[in-house]
Amino acid sequence: MKTTQNCGKCGLCLTVCPVYKELKEEQASPRARLQLIKSFEKQDIASSPHLKQIITKCLMCGSCAAMCPSGIDHYSKFMDMRKKMVQDHGETPAIKSLIWLLAKEYRLSIAGKVARAGQNLIPAIFKEKYQLGNIALQHFPEFNRIPFRDSLPEVVEPAGTAVGKVVYFTGCATNYLFDDTGYSAVNILKKMGYKVIIPKNQTCCSIPMLFHGASDGATHNIVTNIKTLASEPDVDAIIVDCATCGTALKKEYPSFVTNIACSKKSVDKTNTTVKNKSDGSNNNSINNDIIKMANQISLKTTDLLSFIEQRIDLLIPLLAANRSRIKDSKVSTVTYHAPCHLKNSHTGFSHVERLLEALPSVKYNKATDVDQCCGGGGTFFYEYPEISRKMVEKKIVNAEKTGSDLWLTDCPVCRINLAGNAGTISRHGDIKKDKMPLIHPIFLINSLI
Amino acid sequence: MLENKVKDQLLKIVGEKGYLDQKEDLSCFSYDSFTEEAMPDVVLFPVTTMQVSDILKIASLYKIPVTGRGNGTSVCGAPIPVKNGIVVCFSKMDKIIEVNTKDRYVIVQPGVINADIQKALAPFGFFYPPDPGSMTVSTIGGNVAQNAGGPRCLKYGVTVDYILGMEVVLASGKVVRFGSKNIKDVTGYRLSSLFCGSEGTLGLATEIILKVIPVPETVQTLMVTFDNLDNCAKAVTDIIGSGILPAAMELMDQMTLNAIEDSSALGLDRDAKGSLLIEIDGVKEACDKEMVKIIEKVKENHATNVQTAASAQERDALWTARRAAYGVFARMAPDIVSEDVTVPVSRVPEMVRRITDITDRYGLKVGILAHAGDGNMHPLVPADKNNKDEWNRVTKAFEEIFKAAADLGGTLSGEHGIGLAKSAFLPLVMDKDSIEFMSQIKKCIDPDNILNPGKFA
Repeated sequence: MKTTQNCGKCGLCLTVCPVYKELKEEQASPRARLQLIKSFEKQDIASSPHLKQIITKCLMCGSCAAMCPSGIDHYSKFMDMRKKMVQDHGETPAIKSLIWLLAKEYRLSIAGKVARAGQNLIPAIFKEKYQLGNIALQHFPEFNRIPFRDSLPEVVEPAGTAVGKVVYFTGCATNYLFDDTGYSAVNILKKMGYKVIIPKNQTCCSIPMLFHGASDGATHNIVTNIKTLASEPDVDAIIVDCATCGTALKKEYPSFVTNIACSKKSVDKTNTTVKNKSDGSNNNSINNDIIKMANQISLKTTDLLSFIEQRIDLLIPLLAANRSRIKDSKVSTVTYHAPCHLKNSHTGFSHVERLLEALPSVKYNKATDVDQCCGGGGTFFYEYPEISRKMVEKKIVNAEKTGSDLWLTDCPVCRINLAGNAGTISRHGDIKKDKMPLIHPIFLINSLI
Repeated sequence: MLENKVKDQLLKIVGEKGYLDQKEDLSCFSYDSFTEEAMPDVVLFPVTTMQVSDILKIASLYKIPVTGRGNGTSVCGAPIPVKNGIVVCFSKMDKIIEVNTKDRYVIVQPGVINADIQKALAPFGFFYPPDPGSMTVSTIGGNVAQNAGGPRCLKYGVTVDYILGMEVVLASGKVVRFGSKNIKDVTGYRLSSLFCGSEGTLGLATEIILKVIPVPETVQTLMVTFDNLDNCAKAVTDIIGSGILPAAMELMDQMTLNAIEDSSALGLDRDAKGSLLIEIDGVKEACDKEMVKIIEKVKENHATNVQTAASAQERDALWTARRAAYGVFARMAPDIVSEDVTVPVSRVPEMVRRITDITDRYGLKVGILAHAGDGNMHPLVPADKNNKDEWNRVTKAFEEIFKAAADLGGTLSGEHGIGLAKSAFLPLVMDKDSIEFMSQIKKCIDPDNILNPGKFA
């Protein structure tokens, strides 16, 4: 087991931490958070609201862990510490209600409908005046008319020759906010010859809850997702269109359920009479089968664009057929923002760039800061708007410098944050009137086939 | 603890955004990359020379210890506030004031990161040679305080060789300026040599004028392995002895090579007992000639494999390995001790032997890494500070390593500085009168001993 003590305090993590780069104060660095966690564990430093603030003033982007020469898993350590801090000092009402919503799909679904109705009712003057975090209310995306998963059958058959079968984990963003991503993904996969299964029982991946220490609510969702995704045997891949959901399925689920099983075992062993009331029922459902399923899911989980890029020979004929249909040879210029959770995942983001380079009638202009964090970070933009705004403003300036028609990113939070601050509403219907609309790369590809 | 009225005055100088005094925050300024820790009473982030001067006026009035800090990457404990008091952190005083490649200088504030100076110079085809392993994060203020070196300092010289001028705030709060923008300047004492390497014990630099030079036309990199460490070390002396001065010459022993390979698979030879990473730069024709001669010399010393970096990517990969070495050793144990004893180049083989013998005798693992071309050794010993017996053996082994270096006509530190790590060993390499002379200088400039007290001076 690695402990926080293995941090050699070399300070190299300071070079990649977006928050440190902005604030230039040691306590806002990954190295400092490790030091504080160590001091907290040794009881040199007591739990306090201020400690909680230092620990959570972090985007959870994972860049420190990705570059640490000592191989420290900052991400998991920070997640554990956040949980302790929330237990001791609670959360703000806004974050609490978000967690409450994400914990149950039906709540989300109702909230989505209410919010959509609400958005239509809010007078324009309020939308202009009020902000949520660093984003003006009027620049938030609208909710989907119908949740994406309700608008499609659970199984979509391939068009033409069948080549395989995939499960599509849509994530909350595609389901409630960005159904343009979902329709594009399904259409492309279908045309490439894949049967696409979109399980109705899937629910929030739980990463936002884990960031805010709500691991009890998370357990229920995680078990539900594991059972749902594993129920479809012999699939080629479990597709995710959001890098954060991808991290959850690929990396967090196996270690999360293994940890719960381990702690359950040690509780059983000591035969303690103390009952963990909140975890109790969920813990019982975690057994070796669940762990096995989580590991299988991890192996199958693939980023949508990476899946397509690896099978580009199936995409090229579709692109060519479309090109011969359309006479107009206008080239659209695009630039890209690499989400931290993709950049720091095992795939990196080079496959996205290769895919963009391969598209006919598209010219990819790389921004100088393509891989720098946008400051969205789950709810970071809401909790620390001042820091977040500074980051996002740099991103916007550099993206505009590329002079592109479109700005692409494959993370919904980055999309909300970038579009919200650039003042470009990122709905597909609005593309023409926006100056540099933000879309998922899959929407662009779908428009070319 | 500081009195509230003092704290109020300090707060007034830097404002709320530049002031920290809560325990949680303070503990993040209690460490650097060394193994000791000590808490400051307050941390201040000045952004102007005036503020630094005002801080020191208060500090000297109330005789409060003041320790300067950049990004806290010192490996000898230099910025650890062992006597508590005020930490003056320069991370927000980070402007590059002027880049002037026509007159070959840059003017920077102390909080500028070394790598950012390189970035600013690159478009002009210039660079600033000193390249400590921490250059992507360490600040120039820290580099100057410690007189930092790095691999390419073999050919180009260390930090002090590049300081043209400085603005320094003295303990009293008085601001002094010396040197100029001129490459040649013998007006008065060369005070940069006094302040550079003084580890914050004589004053706090608030502006530095650095000499910069043009980037050489070509760089050629070569990786050589040996199945015998003595042959490896001897190849170093033979190459230097033949009149070639490579830009860098990095020695890594088997344990280091394996540790790096464990961290990221770069295809390093795990069976080699030692390797040399050699880099030459300059005019292409000259480099080609030197390369032939270097290959000849390593073959005479029974090199088992000679590999030239064919592309810029391969060259980067070889350097990535070398730069990651320090952090990689942190994987092996909760703590890591790295020293930087230096010996004359001709004594490198003997020093490598002695380090291996000493650590063997104390039953310790050692990775030997060295800027071998200038005799600057980096024995890395992973250990557990909480294991009293082991830590005892580590301390004793390093005592012997310091003695061995002194024995061979070497010195305690080539580039890290003395800090907390080596102050007890100064008498090994300096006689009583010389140490006394340093104390006199310190007393004269900082009579109340408020600047970084508890360190070597």
